[in-house]
Amino acid sequence: MSSATVVQQHSVPQPAQHGKPGGMIRHFNVVTAVILGLVLATIFGFLANRLVPSGATGATFAPVLPDVGFLAILIGWVLGFMIGIGAFIGPFRWLMGRDLTHADAEYLAGKDMGVGRYFRYTTDHKVVGIQYLVGFMVIIGLGGLLAMLIRTELGVTWAGVFSPDSYNTLIGTHGIAMIIAMIIAISGPVGNFIVPIMIGARDMAFPRLNALSFWLLAAAVPCLVASMFAGGIRDGWSVYQPLASQSPPGMIGYQITIIVFAISTGIASVNLMTTILRMRAKGMTWARTPVLVYGIFGAALMGLYAFPFYQYSQILALSDRIFGTSFFNPVEGGSVWLYENLFWLLGHPEVYVILLPSIAVCLELIPVFMRKPLFAMGFAIAGVVGVVIMSGLVWAHHMYMTGWAPFANYPFMLSTEMISIPVGFLVLVAIGTLWRGTAWTRLPLMAVYAVIFNKMIGGVTGIYLSDVPADQFFHGSMFVVAHFHYMLMGAGLFGAMAGIAFYFPKMTGHILDERMGSIGLWTAFAGFQLTFGSMFVAGLQGQPRRVLQFDNLFNISNWLSTIGAYTIGIGMLIFLAAIIFSWRNGKVASGNPWASKSLEWQTPTPVPLENFTVLPVVTERPYDYGVPDPYATAQKTSSDKAGVQ
Amino acid sequence: MAHQTLFDSDEPEAPTNRPAATGRIREWVSRPYARAILILTVVIGFVLLPLAWLILAAMNQTGAPASPIMEEIEKTVFWFTIVSIPMTAFVFAVLVYSLLGWKRISSDDPPMQESPAIRTNRTGTIMWTVVSSVLAFFLVVWGMIELAAITANSYGTIPADQQPGDEQPLIVNVTGQQWVWTFEYPGYDGATTPVLYLEKDRPVYFNVTSKDVIHNFWAVELGVKIDANPGAATQTGVTPTKAGVFNVRCAELCGLHHAYMETTIEVLPKEVFAAAMREMGGGKTS
Repeated sequence: MSSATVVQQHSVPQPAQHGKPGGMIRHFNVVTAVILGLVLATIFGFLANRLVPSGATGATFAPVLPDVGFLAILIGWVLGFMIGIGAFIGPFRWLMGRDLTHADAEYLAGKDMGVGRYFRYTTDHKVVGIQYLVGFMVIIGLGGLLAMLIRTELGVTWAGVFSPDSYNTLIGTHGIAMIIAMIIAISGPVGNFIVPIMIGARDMAFPRLNALSFWLLAAAVPCLVASMFAGGIRDGWSVYQPLASQSPPGMIGYQITIIVFAISTGIASVNLMTTILRMRAKGMTWARTPVLVYGIFGAALMGLYAFPFYQYSQILALSDRIFGTSFFNPVEGGSVWLYENLFWLLGHPEVYVILLPSIAVCLELIPVFMRKPLFAMGFAIAGVVGVVIMSGLVWAHHMYMTGWAPFANYPFMLSTEMISIPVGFLVLVAIGTLWRGTAWTRLPLMAVYAVIFNKMIGGVTGIYLSDVPADQFFHGSMFVVAHFHYMLMGAGLFGAMAGIAFYFPKMTGHILDERMGSIGLWTAFAGFQLTFGSMFVAGLQGQPRRVLQFDNLFNISNWLSTIGAYTIGIGMLIFLAAIIFSWRNGKVASGNPWASKSLEWQTPTPVPLENFTVLPVVTERPYDYGVPDPYATAQKTSSDKAGVQ
Repeated sequence: MAHQTLFDSDEPEAPTNRPAATGRIREWVSRPYARAILILTVVIGFVLLPLAWLILAAMNQTGAPASPIMEEIEKTVFWFTIVSIPMTAFVFAVLVYSLLGWKRISSDDPPMQESPAIRTNRTGTIMWTVVSSVLAFFLVVWGMIELAAITANSYGTIPADQQPGDEQPLIVNVTGQQWVWTFEYPGYDGATTPVLYLEKDRPVYFNVTSKDVIHNFWAVELGVKIDANPGAATQTGVTPTKAGVFNVRCAELCGLHHAYMETTIEVLPKEVFAAAMREMGGGKTS
């Protein structure tokens, strides 16, 4: 590290270099990870088969073999994959008493390594950001494919395309895959790649934990895919007990995925929060910190307190399944309401984990394209803080109709309706920044318009659902499905598209193709309105969610929904094509193609390994765009003329 | 352009101080963009207004409202729609006007032209905060009152032997199991039926439970919905006020044939109901 400001007063003894830089990690990459994962999975599966011989029965006198075997295979896979990628080499070196030398650290960060660094346990935050971006696109592609299959079943009303079991597997896997994808959608790529540069840091606070968080995710998602071949997740993404205990071993795939993913999220959250708290550039006071940083920080904070509930719920459910405990089994004194509480204690903050970075990235890019400062930044921060605090107090609005605690419906209705105030602040800041600006109508800004439109519809339909009497009709109907797709997809995913389009030049060095990207965006947007607009109607007519067969009354809205869904699919494929095409041979981007004033755009593209040769000092507020307001000037001059301050 | 008059140095009466609030509002409304956005808001608001009735029309397609609870629900939905239209219309108006009204540049290079640096606006932010708080407060108060009303209408807080009405309330034990509903009438020799028979204008009290997994008992047109939990009984109730055939659906994913776990409700006049009960084996009335 050559920082000009550090004065070397006395020489510090440096750790000795053992062998080539990097040491053992040189031998590990994604290929060894997959091989070792498969090998350990096979060994563990074989051992489980020996230990619990065929025909053994568990506490409930049901054969347990497939469960134990599948669990062993998944544990073997995760362990083997993490060993094979080199995740345990750091602790191993400490045990050996060897510290990393400077050359080791540079090797780990992927210095001069070429494309290979994307397939390794690389610590550079920019590599992790790109890995997250690709991981996000892969998972959302999987979830999107499942969505197309769901809509095919629901659209082709005259023929049963899927069996009920396959259909239930589709909706469960689609749900959880999309939730995972949307949680990492912005916090992953933008949070890892952009935020450290934006705050003027050389890397994340814990670079090796950063790599760990991504590779844990990479180990977790194959478990989800594997579960589809072991009977599937047939119980929706919420996998309510005791229904889930009836499921085939595929449920274990869900539980292992969540347990591992929660560790990944926890590590990523701590890392992001520490980076933001401790590593902002000199002079970057909280007032000078861009709003995206607040948004990512809020999302990380919510993830940190929410995910443990989810993890516990799945650990307890797994324990019920394997060891015959009865946390959630009502026959043996367990409680289904306990599961619902644990689940929704994650479930609602998680919605804001998805939504907050998406809105924050929109607020971040509006000033650049409107050439004016962010309107009422204090309100934006108040909105973020309010959402973070209140998101933890609203979970039981998912349980209004469970009969769990009828009188608790009053306070939860209160808190749920109050959360519209901080969310409203974020809308105020967005439209206040659009106010009287000269719109530079490029793709990222246009996506923001789509986000605000969808956000309003999602928000207004949300107030029906927050109200207990109205929820008594809407709960568990297609109306709910349409509402949360407006929030998570309409605001979340379109916001992610805005963010990707905006940061694409910095991340890849190429401009995202404007024409193709716009065609994809607006095709998807049109399809989105048709799909979920029709779904609102189906919900109003009284169609329950998660059904594969329904009355003729609901046919028309479901046909329209399916047509819309295919349109979304086409639009998303066009957008994906734009990304791939632009990444490979798009127009080469300059360091600052949007003429932005924030720190991340002042670095050269591609961003050098340690981002800044000399760490920057921040002296101004963010969003210092614009010229004096002619109206304000007019008023001032006229009052000056009258001799009044 | 209105700008011209503002910059005009020989105005007849220059403001002597910060203008009074009414004057400032009048000045603001006189700006062309403000006027356009207000007009747009009104136009969009009126375009959205039919939604309030269309939503109810969609909800009423199968015969709702068939109970006072459903009437309360529909009243809530109607007024929430009305209340949320102005704010939605205003945001949509700003979106439309910022694309079509204010200046727009679509060049490949960043625009050289900067926009007015409006960092905040006290009147605007205060108004937004006040309006959104008032709206949220309205939602809460309305919700609390309506929740109390439907709780009373569903007899959720009243013990089973003190039910309202001239005669004994009808008690129905609802049991969900994969994937059928069973309705038991303790007042009629414990007769059980796969179809829910109710008597018009007679309060009915449901004890809902499940034999296996969580189901959700949804009497669609009656506006009744409550989970059927294994190992616990939940209570709710309703007074059907409209004779006819309505739907029961399961609104909680309960496994393989969740989609087929539906049956019908027959709300019958008093004599017909008694006859139906006798036919089902419940000879004793009440």
